[in-house]
Amino acid sequence: MRKKITVLLLAVILTGLLEGCWSRSEITEVAIILGTGVDWTEDERIRLTVQIAGPGAFGAGGESGPGVKEPPAWVVRAEGKTIEEAERYLAKKVPREIYWGHSVILVIGEEMAKKGAGMVTNFFHRSRGPREIMWLMVARGEAEDILEAQSMLAKTSAQAAGFLARMETSYAVQTREFAEMLASKGVQPAVTGLDVKDVGKAVGQGQEEKFPVQKKVELSGTAVFKEDKLIGWLDEHETRGLLWLKGEVKKGAVMVPSPGEPEKEVSIKVRRSRTKIVPEYDGENLRFNVMINVEGDMVEQQSREDLATPERIKALESAMAGEIKERTAIALEKAQWEYGVDIFGFGDAFHRKYKKEWRELKNRWDEEFSRADVNIAVEAHVREIGLLTKRASVPEE
Amino acid sequence: MLEHGKIDGRQAVLLMLSMVLPTAILTVPAVVVKSARQDAWLSVMAATLAGLLITRLVVSLSLRFPGRTLFEYAQEILGQAPGKIAGLLYIWLFFLYIGSGAVREFGFFLVTALMLDTPMLVFSIAVVAVAAYAVRNGLEVLCRFNQLFIPVTGLLAIVFLLSTMDMKPARLLPVFDTGLLPIIKGAVTPTMWLGEIVTLAVIIPYLNKPGQAHRVAALSVLLSGFFLTASILEALLIFGPNLTGHWIFPTFNATRVISIANFLERLESIIVAAWILGGFIKVGVFYYAIVLGSAQCLELKDYRPLVLPVGVLLVASSSLLHGENIVEMLYYIPLVEVPFLLIVFEAGIPLLLLVVALARGKGGKS
Repeated sequence: MRKKITVLLLAVILTGLLEGCWSRSEITEVAIILGTGVDWTEDERIRLTVQIAGPGAFGAGGESGPGVKEPPAWVVRAEGKTIEEAERYLAKKVPREIYWGHSVILVIGEEMAKKGAGMVTNFFHRSRGPREIMWLMVARGEAEDILEAQSMLAKTSAQAAGFLARMETSYAVQTREFAEMLASKGVQPAVTGLDVKDVGKAVGQGQEEKFPVQKKVELSGTAVFKEDKLIGWLDEHETRGLLWLKGEVKKGAVMVPSPGEPEKEVSIKVRRSRTKIVPEYDGENLRFNVMINVEGDMVEQQSREDLATPERIKALESAMAGEIKERTAIALEKAQWEYGVDIFGFGDAFHRKYKKEWRELKNRWDEEFSRADVNIAVEAHVREIGLLTKRASVPEE
Repeated sequence: MLEHGKIDGRQAVLLMLSMVLPTAILTVPAVVVKSARQDAWLSVMAATLAGLLITRLVVSLSLRFPGRTLFEYAQEILGQAPGKIAGLLYIWLFFLYIGSGAVREFGFFLVTALMLDTPMLVFSIAVVAVAAYAVRNGLEVLCRFNQLFIPVTGLLAIVFLLSTMDMKPARLLPVFDTGLLPIIKGAVTPTMWLGEIVTLAVIIPYLNKPGQAHRVAALSVLLSGFFLTASILEALLIFGPNLTGHWIFPTFNATRVISIANFLERLESIIVAAWILGGFIKVGVFYYAIVLGSAQCLELKDYRPLVLPVGVLLVASSSLLHGENIVEMLYYIPLVEVPFLLIVFEAGIPLLLLVVALARGKGGKS
């Protein structure tokens, strides 16, 4: 009996040791970072900007109830020779322990990207806190402006940028995908751009004064890298071409001229698409056959003609194919002639098919790519036309 | 007899699985991918075949001497003094080395990936103390503990399935990119890990049906090989051949990528749970082999007095034998430790013992 009591007592006392007070971090003692920005300053130092979540950043807690409303986020910055040094200086200003695990985006300023994005991402891959699925973006201008921007539907601009990345309208990559592109010789990195603009306006009684038009984030084009250095940008149209060639178009629409009335447009919404790159190499001539297969639904027509006939649908399909082909050609031309880098992963496709030849070509791949012949074939199908056959507002003849 | 417990075939398979997998899943993928790149999975398959051969050898040897462990029949085959020396070599250079290595890896992983501020010694002492308790209570207790917690390792399979969303099969192409040699080179490390199943030579006498030993060994190797292949494929399909080799623990990073509907995330805790439980079993099995072997070589009547001193040795050698930092450990594992242990203790000595046993006509027909 006595032994049992001793054992029981020991068990109770010893569980006290299991709580793990060692390096614990209470939620009230950590500063949760939502977005991280890294800039290269004029005096050649790294400026780390972080957006720290306030209590209002999650859920609706901040808004409900009267009294002082706490802002959803706080933006702090510090400079240093390295990111770690800057982080240490940050620790002098932030009264809590910095916690990276919830950082949604990593924004690299344009100057920093030109200097070398790899210098930035290394810290975030090496440390345990930040996750591999953080979205990587390049700011048009300074990264700190992005984090200082406002947001309407999301609580903070970093969260808004994260949601935008997930909408699949742009070439959004996670830091791990960027690292994979950097580590491969068969593809050069491309990363979505992020800009701050006046986006939208708050409406409602008296709301215009309360919320003046604010700067908000917007996805803007694609940053093109050679190794880890930014060398240029693709605009919106070229970005679409990039997405088609990468086989990353999951959403989006293609506008084609109406077959009978070419000055009016018809919109076809993409349902699904598939891109296949088939390289051909005979030891001298390098050629890529790109086959894009796309299915879409017609969602809008401006013209008055009746498009619900098999011939018109066929005509729409070929117009759609032509349109996509044109967009890809623009992006391809820019990459081949202006930047001279393979951002499409043609090298990886080549490697998969010609592994022996790849060993020779891989070290001068970008030159080979610039010289390569690319043949784009698009097969488009229109599947649905919505709930209408003709335009409802056109009288019968 | 020093050990009175009996375990059945299934318990033995599960014990071997827990012994090989946890450390293998964490440390092996990076080593294999560095050498064989996207063909790493072929390396592991080759390693599984090699592992089958090694265990076949050891089990055949053990079955010639029913009811006796490696340490006992080594003395019968080679004569008392050389047999004892062979046994002690096994204890010192194989079981103690791998056992303390497991303690070290256990500490390194937890410190590197999760708890930076905690001294490694805390983890070493904790895992050895728990293992000591299990070892003191005998093989049966170790096996039952393992049976109780093996479902956590099963969760790994679910984690792998969840990560399929981020996978791209194209990352495995082209096959045979680097040729045959890197694939074989890459196979060495996983072969050594799967070859740890030679520890069965200590456990076979305590199987309730020793006739199942061949099946137990084969099943252990195949299952471990399968899970190891799956973990390498997971990392490769998510990160591709170039990036996978850059991580220290690719499988750990791969599970961190899982994000389903922005909601089901941070599943790395499952890997950590499996690792902690499995790491403890691994340490436990080698601990048991050291203690039992020492008692048999020294002809003691009971192995329990040895548990505490061996535990101290394990903790001490974990920080003395395996390099001062993680870089040294990771450098020496594939370069020195693996070939040496594989050639000498997993293949060399068992083969020698079998040949001598056949030549001198020792032991019964298996």
